[in-house]
Amino acid sequence: MAEEKQYKLKVEDLTISFRTNQGMVRAVRGVDFDLNKGETLAIVGESGSGKSVTSKAIMGILAGNSVIDKGRIIYEDQDLTKIKEEDFHKLRGDKIGMIFQDPMSSLNPIMRLGKQITEGMIINGKHLKNRKKALYQSAQQRYYNAKSDKKQMKIDYKQAVADAKENGDTSKLETLKAEFNKNLAKQKEEIKVARKAYFEKRKEARKIVKEEWANEKAKYAEKIEKVKTELKATDDVEKQQSLKEKIEDLKEQRARYKKVTKKQAKERAIEVMGEVGIPEPEKRLRQYPFQFSGGMRQRIVIAIALTADPDLLICDEPTTALDVTIQSQILELIKRLKEERDLTVIFITHDLGVVANMADRIAVMYAGKIVEIGTVNDIFYNPKHPYTWALLSSVPDIDSADRLMAIPGTPPNMLFPPEGDAFAERNEYAMEIDFEKQPPFFKVSESHYAATWLLHEDAPEVEMPKVLKDRLAKMKSASRGVNQ
Amino acid sequence: MAEERETILSVRNLKTHFSTGIGKNKLTVKAVDGVSFDIFKGEVFGLVGESGCGKTTTGRTIIKLYTPTDGEVYFKGKRITAGTDSIRQQLKDTKKEGKNKIKELKEEQKQALEKSSNPEQTKAEYEKKIEEIRNVTDKEVHEFKDEIKRRKYESLKDYKRKDTKDLMKKMQMIFQDPIASLNPRMTVKEIIAEGLYIAGESDQKIITEKVNEVLETVGLLPEHANRYPHEFSGGQRQRIGVARALIVSPEFIIADEPISALDVSIQAQVINLLNDLRDEFGLTILFIAHDLSVVQYFSDRIAVMYFGKMVELAPTKELFKNPLHPYTKSLLSAVPVPDPDFEKSRERITYDPSVHNYEDDQPELHDIKKDHFIYCNKAELEAHKKELKE
Repeated sequence: MAEEKQYKLKVEDLTISFRTNQGMVRAVRGVDFDLNKGETLAIVGESGSGKSVTSKAIMGILAGNSVIDKGRIIYEDQDLTKIKEEDFHKLRGDKIGMIFQDPMSSLNPIMRLGKQITEGMIINGKHLKNRKKALYQSAQQRYYNAKSDKKQMKIDYKQAVADAKENGDTSKLETLKAEFNKNLAKQKEEIKVARKAYFEKRKEARKIVKEEWANEKAKYAEKIEKVKTELKATDDVEKQQSLKEKIEDLKEQRARYKKVTKKQAKERAIEVMGEVGIPEPEKRLRQYPFQFSGGMRQRIVIAIALTADPDLLICDEPTTALDVTIQSQILELIKRLKEERDLTVIFITHDLGVVANMADRIAVMYAGKIVEIGTVNDIFYNPKHPYTWALLSSVPDIDSADRLMAIPGTPPNMLFPPEGDAFAERNEYAMEIDFEKQPPFFKVSESHYAATWLLHEDAPEVEMPKVLKDRLAKMKSASRGVNQ
Repeated sequence: MAEERETILSVRNLKTHFSTGIGKNKLTVKAVDGVSFDIFKGEVFGLVGESGCGKTTTGRTIIKLYTPTDGEVYFKGKRITAGTDSIRQQLKDTKKEGKNKIKELKEEQKQALEKSSNPEQTKAEYEKKIEEIRNVTDKEVHEFKDEIKRRKYESLKDYKRKDTKDLMKKMQMIFQDPIASLNPRMTVKEIIAEGLYIAGESDQKIITEKVNEVLETVGLLPEHANRYPHEFSGGQRQRIGVARALIVSPEFIIADEPISALDVSIQAQVINLLNDLRDEFGLTILFIAHDLSVVQYFSDRIAVMYFGKMVELAPTKELFKNPLHPYTKSLLSAVPVPDPDFEKSRERITYDPSVHNYEDDQPELHDIKKDHFIYCNKAELEAHKKELKE
């Protein structure tokens, strides 16, 4: 991109595999995209194309047997593939929210909804504790780093010894050992210092926070005492009542200084539930998920994601399990929330019809790679990759009666990813080179890139399928008719 | 054209209710509540509606997976299943009526006896009248009871007869979820051949031959017969489901959301397959789905269901040109189209059932145009007629 835009998220050459008994499954094979602030990016692809895995990597919730082979995910100058789980807690939910696919299975069936919505707020809302942690965090980090450095040092030494043995450099071993011992002693000393500093800092932080809390408590105690004396002085029943309420209020405020109270969380939950369009939220809070319809359950899932005010929202097939009418309601809701809260959205789906109105840009994924990326108009009106053609023309049109163009065959087995273009086997336009070499990204326009050899200058001229061409022509004339 | 068409299945006032709980907790869910339609030979009849509107229950009741509460289903002119609810109600009413009449007569008799000069004769007269009514009521009650018995047991008894067996073989079902509906411990051959075994085929040679033949028809290879379902992709699994339905050479297939669990690119494969089969074997298909664009592409006539009622029934073109019922309109306005410009200008219509005022004017299924039916009351019918485009 020529002009420097303020990007929110940048994914560079992300490669993810899963260890299985049969071998490594290459789920994502080098995905690049960036996401600007306030933009909606739709990732479209079949199941197994790696779109969900990519989004899970951004959230840091990949399954245990996954390996991030290479690549970076940069969010606010941090590389999400490298940062520690502890640090991720601050991002996940708070900054990056996620809406899961199946509203039936992503809610706990034996927990009241109120609890499910407020759970995250209450757990994350211990203000004093968080402040204390923030105070000694840098010292703690240094201590942990020193420890892990020591570990690394040992591993490096073993590696070096093994290498030396392999090369037959026995004379080198002595020097290596001496050097290692020297370094180790130095590192140990450093750890000792760091540990001491960390403990001291922690002690100090505890003291600071304790004092702060004591001050606050004293302040409120004074206020409460004042009201209490007032209460004793009056005989008026009504005034007594209001004063009692005032005491309760003060106590609540005091508690709120320390943490997010249940009452506060409930108020927030009701507010958010109203925002996502659930009628009578006060009553609904006491109910269980089974008392809700599918669309309402999806609204609850959205509400849970929104309680923490994320600025990046990942929607993983939020409407796949829903009916057409409910689907359009949920889509409208996400669109409205995006505008109201200025969210950046990643929208994952396999249905191109769904994203036509939602997305600003679309990335089409196939077999772990992005095959085409561009703005909505680029992808819908000027598609270049054969897979995008196939996707677009396999959707039955409202007023066509021609035979549907089905994509023959099935997606490739990602245990053994194909050498050339992954789509070549199912592609009627495939050329020889497609089976041998992977196509790079060819630039179509400033915003539009496609990975297909068809765009190479030596490639023969290939027209898109007739069904699709006709349809595009029809769309153009129809939309022009609307504009006039 | 209408005279030439042969009715293969007719559903009359079909009701299927499910009840849970007892006493004051008793809750009756009216999944299907009075649905009537005819399906003609060789057509694809689409049934659409949101989840929970009873479209799957309708399909399952037709193939006798559920017992209907009321109404009848005729397949090729023979009643295959029927509910007894309305007969029971009639029986109750008749009994009550008879009792009331007798009571009235007894009152009259009392009064007459006081006035009468000849009590013996009056009494005899009245006794005779009462006896008559009793006889008539008893006779009617017996008739109703017989009908209930017939409806309840006829189908069961009949099932052992060969002709009924053959008849039911002509109706088959394709299920929604190709993963859940195939037994993971059976090979493809066993799954497909199960219908043949049940139909009484025991010659292994013929079975293998038929299985291979049907596998080729649905676009799979004969060597797939010895594999297990998990070795196949979603589209291929749904093909196995289709093959299982086809093996007994049915005339009528109920396809219950056969593609909604599949990926978009695979959906087209299955629809093309069903389309080919329909041309090749002249199948009649009841196609249940919630995706209107697919139904529109595939069906000849479409019925729209809403909360157990059929609200509109029309040929596909007519329905898309002239949607009349507000629910149909809202459904049509929600179909996503892969065209950004169109999507941006689209306005979704929401359906609010409270727009209808059915308090004193009861709604019915009205014939507004040839082959176009709509569920409304008389006042609405007039309004709809004005709205109708040519």
